Amino acid sequence: MVQINFAQKQINAKIVYYGPGMSGKTTNLEVVHQRAPAPNRGDLTSISTDGDRTLFFDYMPLDLGTVAGMRTCFQMYTVPGQVYYNSTRKLVLQGCDGVIFVADSQESMREQNIESLKNLEENLAEYGKNIADMPLIIQYNKRDMPGAVSVETLEADLNQYGAPSFEAVANTGQGVFPTLKALAAVVLKNLSQESSAGGSSPSPAAPAAPAPMATSDGVPEQSAQFAAPAAAQPGGENHPPAAVPSKAADSSEADNASAPLMETGFTPRENGVPQPVSAASAQGSISGAPAGTAMQGQLDSGGAASTAVAPAPARQARPRPQTAGKSAGARPAKGRQKAAPKAPVKKQGNTVYTIAFIVLAAAVGAVLAKTILSFL
Amino acid sequence: MSHDQQLRADRLVFYEKEIEELNSELDAFLELSKAKTAMLIDREGHLVTRRGESIKSSLDSVSALIAGSFAATREMARLMGEDEFAVLHHQGVSNSIQIQAVGPRTLMGVIFDGRTNLGLVRFYAQECNRRVKEILDQVEVQSSGRGSGLAENFSESAEAALDKLF
Repeated sequence: MVQINFAQKQINAKIVYYGPGMSGKTTNLEVVHQRAPAPNRGDLTSISTDGDRTLFFDYMPLDLGTVAGMRTCFQMYTVPGQVYYNSTRKLVLQGCDGVIFVADSQESMREQNIESLKNLEENLAEYGKNIADMPLIIQYNKRDMPGAVSVETLEADLNQYGAPSFEAVANTGQGVFPTLKALAAVVLKNLSQESSAGGSSPSPAAPAAPAPMATSDGVPEQSAQFAAPAAAQPGGENHPPAAVPSKAADSSEADNASAPLMETGFTPRENGVPQPVSAASAQGSISGAPAGTAMQGQLDSGGAASTAVAPAPARQARPRPQTAGKSAGARPAKGRQKAAPKAPVKKQGNTVYTIAFIVLAAAVGAVLAKTILSFL
Repeated sequence: MSHDQQLRADRLVFYEKEIEELNSELDAFLELSKAKTAMLIDREGHLVTRRGESIKSSLDSVSALIAGSFAATREMARLMGEDEFAVLHHQGVSNSIQIQAVGPRTLMGVIFDGRTNLGLVRFYAQECNRRVKEILDQVEVQSSGRGSGLAENFSESAEAALDKLF
């Protein structure tokens, strides 16, 4: 399942190496880990047995870099190949966006290759997915083994779907990156095609403001709403019109400071307070900082990524120290959605906060009393 | 269901406003529970958002392992006739972690230490869970009805990025 996170400007996709035991799936991942540029690769995590057989999965994130303003990451997994690990194999397959099937070219492994491919079909079917619709690349590994089966035979055995296939010798690195590149291309192309087909109507307002992903026109409607908060939003029922253009974000912060509290009624944690950009990036993840700060950090470090990303909702997350006490636990959800009209929300919210606070305090008191009594 | 429809149904798109709402809930939870870190992870292991203290090790790896851990115990639960174990707790010497299902597609991981205790974390996590679920339900409904919002030049940019990396 592809996850598109506009707040972090990140796309996550899941790629799985599948195949029979000992076919070289983990080796593929190790080679990618060894040879990918250091800034792009994450840690290689393995859950394996003492005998180095994969028990659950191997995992490595691979950062493709910024694609059209979005940091694109592949989360790469291998499955345990042994037949008796099918339950864990199936779990790893959940929500995957593309599969590299690593087949073993040795004659003795022909049957296990076929069995594993069949198992892949079955496991995908259990998640309601058809292997024919899934981005699939087949890698014929161990081509250097004496008596390796011919590629034609392997194609006849395994490639009934007409998937692109590559020859490889994973332990020397040969064929590893072409295989991965081919799958990455298919996954991203799928995402892109689906994007252009899936976006409803292009928004006429899109060109009115700089878009975060350097789009000019023909941007899908929802994207335009996100990218150009100050522009007209004909279908924006889910995204309230932004009151402040992005470039005025700094001044809007000053406004927000005096605006009524619309959101959290608690004292923010120290690390929830807006921090300098350098502090945000030093945490290694933009999610640690408030969205406004994070976006500013991206703007500084990511260049073209986006002038228009600091939309109005920044004020929602802006913490206001020492306001409505500890009543956040009972804050009504609706108040949050009606953030635009300011004063009425505050009045109504305060009443509810007070009542909720009393109820919550009573509940906590009761629990504490019960706990103390139980100790006695 | 066509291929495109399937993709749209599978995909989750988070906009900044939604992430801010989620962050706000997590901040409130952290404040009340005194836990160190709260994170939302989808069941495939992709991090949605994290609040609180940063984690020394790779956040991506922690997310993947939390999702894997939860998935494994879900299979265990099924063998025992349960749909899943909705809450997991791993206790360490100084740090512990609670993992809780939030709706059908998301998990909430909470890391805490001796400044608080499991009861307090669990108590406030229940309420936070309910609120976060409401937001995620909205995200899911909206995700299925809207385009991914990616730029039109995404495909070309992706090819260029791949050529550069490989």
